[in-house]
Amino acid sequence: MLNELFQAVGILSAISAVLSLLMVIADRTIANYGEVTITINDEKKLTVQGGSTLLSTLMSEEIFIPSACGGRGSCGFCKVRVLEGAGDTLPTELPHLSEEERRNSIRLSCQLKIKKDMKIEIPEELFNVKQFRGVVARIRDLTYDIKEITIRLLEPAEISFKAGQYVQLETPEYELADEPVYRAYSVSSAPSRKDLVELEIRRVPNGICTTYVHDYLKEGDAVTLNGPYGEFYLRDSTRRIVFIAGGSGNAPIKSILSDMAEKKIGRKALYFFGARTAKDLFLQEEMKAFEEQLSDFTYIPALSEPVEEDNWGGETGLITDVIDRRLDTGEETEAYLCGSPGMIAACIKVLTAKGIPEERIYYDKFA
Amino acid sequence: MKQTVQMDKIQASMRRGVITLEGFLGTDTRKLVDILIDDDAEVRRLGMSHEAIARRMLELKQAGEAGLGEFVTVGEQLEVKVDAVRGKLPCPFGDPGIFGKVNTTVRNKKTKKEVTYTDLHIHMIWAHGFYEGKGSRFRLEPAELIDILEVKTDE
Repeated sequence: MLNELFQAVGILSAISAVLSLLMVIADRTIANYGEVTITINDEKKLTVQGGSTLLSTLMSEEIFIPSACGGRGSCGFCKVRVLEGAGDTLPTELPHLSEEERRNSIRLSCQLKIKKDMKIEIPEELFNVKQFRGVVARIRDLTYDIKEITIRLLEPAEISFKAGQYVQLETPEYELADEPVYRAYSVSSAPSRKDLVELEIRRVPNGICTTYVHDYLKEGDAVTLNGPYGEFYLRDSTRRIVFIAGGSGNAPIKSILSDMAEKKIGRKALYFFGARTAKDLFLQEEMKAFEEQLSDFTYIPALSEPVEEDNWGGETGLITDVIDRRLDTGEETEAYLCGSPGMIAACIKVLTAKGIPEERIYYDKFA
Repeated sequence: MKQTVQMDKIQASMRRGVITLEGFLGTDTRKLVDILIDDDAEVRRLGMSHEAIARRMLELKQAGEAGLGEFVTVGEQLEVKVDAVRGKLPCPFGDPGIFGKVNTTVRNKKTKKEVTYTDLHIHMIWAHGFYEGKGSRFRLEPAELIDILEVKTDE
């Protein structure tokens, strides 16, 4: 009886092994799509091996499409327009695509396998995106939950970006991540410092990347990042500028202010920075210093719930209330916002009521 | 109650690396149906409903949004912060729509305890009574939620 059982198990194991082998052979032969051509923006042609996802194939060709989830189809960032060569939209793409995006042939590049020649459209600026290796030159605490990380670039040794753009920082495998994960952070340094990238990273409870940065990353550690990305940068005009941020939303604004100071851009500018108590404020001296460096700039920090020991003599209340009090009119003004969706929505309401048209309100919304 | 084929599929999508890096199940080896039944029993034992818990979570999130990314005092004992990071997540149960990675952190000054939950948590508790598996870093214990958030019964 026992012998028969062992025999049956043996036969089943043998069948499984043969089936597995057949699967491997099939994957290498039947599913071998051979060389295919990807035409990008009707100009650039890439000859690549078919069978992989569009996202990973482009990455291997050093074309980086923003992606925060490592190709799992959960972040919805890696959208590209596929004009030819894609099949029907996959069920895994549907939650991330609006009706209009589907009509415009927008696809999630991490879900789309390349099986034949393909024609795609991507923003021209993505050709400027590169992968960088660097080393952590400095880590300093800005507040109890925000750290400033300065990364000196090694290879390539220089980055070109517009003030306000962001990069994706890689968190390597560690206790909480069994594979590398990328998360996006705005650059806070000036574009003129091509040799380094400075980031302001706020701890997110249970966040994989921010926990790594706050609890594991040390000065001297090697890091990998890619970028730059994003449409959040100062528009070329003569209008008055209103900047609004809170917490680590300060990063892109600081980069823009540094760039304005270096380029001697003398546009009238106001910066409303919202915090709860004095311990949530940071880089106060640097921000005040911009008032000297820029010809017509005012920094307006505001505390929503100052405590007695803050000895606060500045503006109080929610940042939206402060804007409402301090901003006379929205005429000939444009606004730059960085923060949570709730903060952005509340600020847009106040700014439009002041007369700033929505198309002149630029924001870096995190979600 | 028996685990259906549909639930098998949902449980598969909750594993590590499918929707999120860590998944929704942690070290829990129980079937999804058993996780749901056990948490449902716990919530009932505490004299609450999933809807009441989720409604309170939503109410506090909405109140916390006034802080525009910073902590704001809500009522006498609670401090609430609503913050967001880049990215979106679909519901593992396959419900339509996607949820921004919006984190609501609630501190209870009386109990000196704190809890952080996402918009997806609110949805999963409200619609499915799902608090994530045991051992998941993002699991919310119903008893802790009720305590920290000062959830009141439906009456």
